[in-house]
Amino acid sequence: MHSRIKLIDSLKRGLGSADTRRPFSVSNNLREVRMSNKGARNLFIFGSLFFFLIFIVLTFDTMGKLDKRAPEITEEVNAGKMAWHKYDCIGCHTIFGNGSYFAPDMTKVAEKKPKGYLKQFLMDPKAVNPKASMPKLGITSDEADKLISFLEWISKVDTNGWPPKPILAGAVGVAVKELTEGQKVYQSLGCSNCHMISGIGGTTGPDLTGVGSKRDGAWLSGHFKNPKAYVPNSAMPAYGHLNEKDLNVLTDYMVSLK
Amino acid sequence: MTIKHESQKIAQNFYTFAVLLFLVQVVVGIIAALQFMWPDFFILNFNIIRSLHINALVVWLLVGMMGATYYVVPEESETEIWSLPLAKFQFWATVAAVTAVVLGYIIMGLYPQANTLVFGTRLLNEGREYIEAPRWADILIVVSILLFLFNNFMTMLKTKKWTGIQGVLLGGLTVLALMYLPGMFYTKSMVKDQYWWWWVVHLWVEGAWEVIAGALLAFMLMKTTGVKREVVEKWMYIEVGLVMFTGILGIGHHYYWIGTPSYWLWIGGIFSSLEPVPLLIMVWDAFRTTRETRVVTNKAGLYYTVAHAIFNFVGAGLWGVIHTLPQVNKWTHGTQITTAHGHLAFYGAYVLLVLAMIYITLPAIRGVKEFNPSRAFKSFWIMTISMVFIVLTITGAGMVQTYMERLMGLDYVAVKANYNLWFWILRAVFGVGFLYGVVIFVIDYFKLGKERT
Repeated sequence: MHSRIKLIDSLKRGLGSADTRRPFSVSNNLREVRMSNKGARNLFIFGSLFFFLIFIVLTFDTMGKLDKRAPEITEEVNAGKMAWHKYDCIGCHTIFGNGSYFAPDMTKVAEKKPKGYLKQFLMDPKAVNPKASMPKLGITSDEADKLISFLEWISKVDTNGWPPKPILAGAVGVAVKELTEGQKVYQSLGCSNCHMISGIGGTTGPDLTGVGSKRDGAWLSGHFKNPKAYVPNSAMPAYGHLNEKDLNVLTDYMVSLK
Repeated sequence: MTIKHESQKIAQNFYTFAVLLFLVQVVVGIIAALQFMWPDFFILNFNIIRSLHINALVVWLLVGMMGATYYVVPEESETEIWSLPLAKFQFWATVAAVTAVVLGYIIMGLYPQANTLVFGTRLLNEGREYIEAPRWADILIVVSILLFLFNNFMTMLKTKKWTGIQGVLLGGLTVLALMYLPGMFYTKSMVKDQYWWWWVVHLWVEGAWEVIAGALLAFMLMKTTGVKREVVEKWMYIEVGLVMFTGILGIGHHYYWIGTPSYWLWIGGIFSSLEPVPLLIMVWDAFRTTRETRVVTNKAGLYYTVAHAIFNFVGAGLWGVIHTLPQVNKWTHGTQITTAHGHLAFYGAYVLLVLAMIYITLPAIRGVKEFNPSRAFKSFWIMTISMVFIVLTITGAGMVQTYMERLMGLDYVAVKANYNLWFWILRAVFGVGFLYGVVIFVIDYFKLGKERT
């Protein structure tokens, strides 16, 4: 305790004499200054070690808790992670928000986009979406499957609620008027994850803003049941499992978009 | 002003390599900026260009710091470098390793499949941001830094003049070498991967590097203003002490959203909010010392030194602290706000630091008493104004992105391609402006002391 007081005391004296404008006798004060420099030095060294020690303890604690905050890592997931590194995906994308900010964040992508689409896109992005910026990297079918497993694992990690749900998206349209039956189906299927209507929604699939003036009801409902029959390169999942009523109201909604 | 020890001239080799890499970094930076508008514009994809941009930055700053250290340690120890041939070998080995890594990136850019697994690690690119260099290169880098540290410690041992400046400088460099190791093993979990990866990245730029900056700042203030060693060293200890006290646990601001426990929200929020404090003290230190000085021996050098202190605080401090609280970071994390912070922080904290060291030590190495500082001032203003505008445009892009993508729920690609287009255009324009400033600096670097004043 005594030595600590001495240290603080010497530090205080040192700070006082740091003001060079104040005249002081050199011989006397130099010794004082040197002492306080020693105090400042010790404070730096031992203080740094102290905080580093706390950091080590916290690291141990964190490492012990991580496995409970994420699903088990299978060989498939690990192989996907290896592929992630192989193609330097982080050079454009972010994951957990860390990376290159040039392309979308991958933390929740496996939750939002259909697997079939992801696979086709990974193997040949521009064939699925001609506007895509991503180049064809030569990712094989096997690698694509593993990457998707890896991204599924990522999407299930407990990230303390990141990325947050957009505040305003949920409010759009709700307060103004009741949703139509077709709009409800559109929402419940998560169509806006990939498609855009009037500026809201994803850019993965085609923009549906004026789709009603391009396609008729028969084309649209047929396309829902089997997209590939209408658009050969389509990466959209088939919605043949929908009941007749939902399919009809969704088709009507699409036709109304003119 | 001349050097006291012939072997200090080795610093110039490192400076020249650093300056050339600086030029490369800025040129590829402009290519990257253009790729934000036209992704297919260049034969190499964005990921390779960006790897080159950030790796060139890290390497040239490191090489510049090494050069500065080879100058400072003999000066402080008042003796020649322990082994000049070893320093020369270390220099050329570094140049060779860096060249090999760059060639590897380019090959990978042309043939992505060439990045194969060899002995369980990637041959050309590790695919981890900032530390993309493959494992074999990691080992070479560690060997190079160890040789460098060994040489400098031996120099210090020759005369055993333990000065605070070289003690802190070499201490910072030792921590830097040690903190490279957590990035050198593979983990199956992406969460653990990022956890250890931040040890390298954060404990470098917000820990060891700031300690090195504190030591070099003290050295530069002493050299340019003649202020007493006792005084600068005391403030240096306080500055680097506070850097470590706030910075080590400030790492928590990287552990908010990567799958780590939520107590990091508290730790990171509190400690990283305090991180600007030592940087502000450095600004005050630089101003106080400058104000009290009657005779400035190297105006351009002092100018860059003070500018370094100011922009270290603005870029690393202010632009960092605005989005460091978890309540804010939840919305801004992973947006262009981070990019803006990264640019101004690296420019202020480390680019200006190395350039200041060059302007303070190069005249002595070249044996000139005085030099015409007009180009130094001109390049400073062009670079700084351009960088400030680059940062403002990216900050604007980040604010638009945060609002539209995070708050409104618009698509990432829609925001990037439509709403932020003008920001990308302006950023590229100011990037060219920055390049112009760099070219003036490079010309000045090669001409300094070699033309009549």
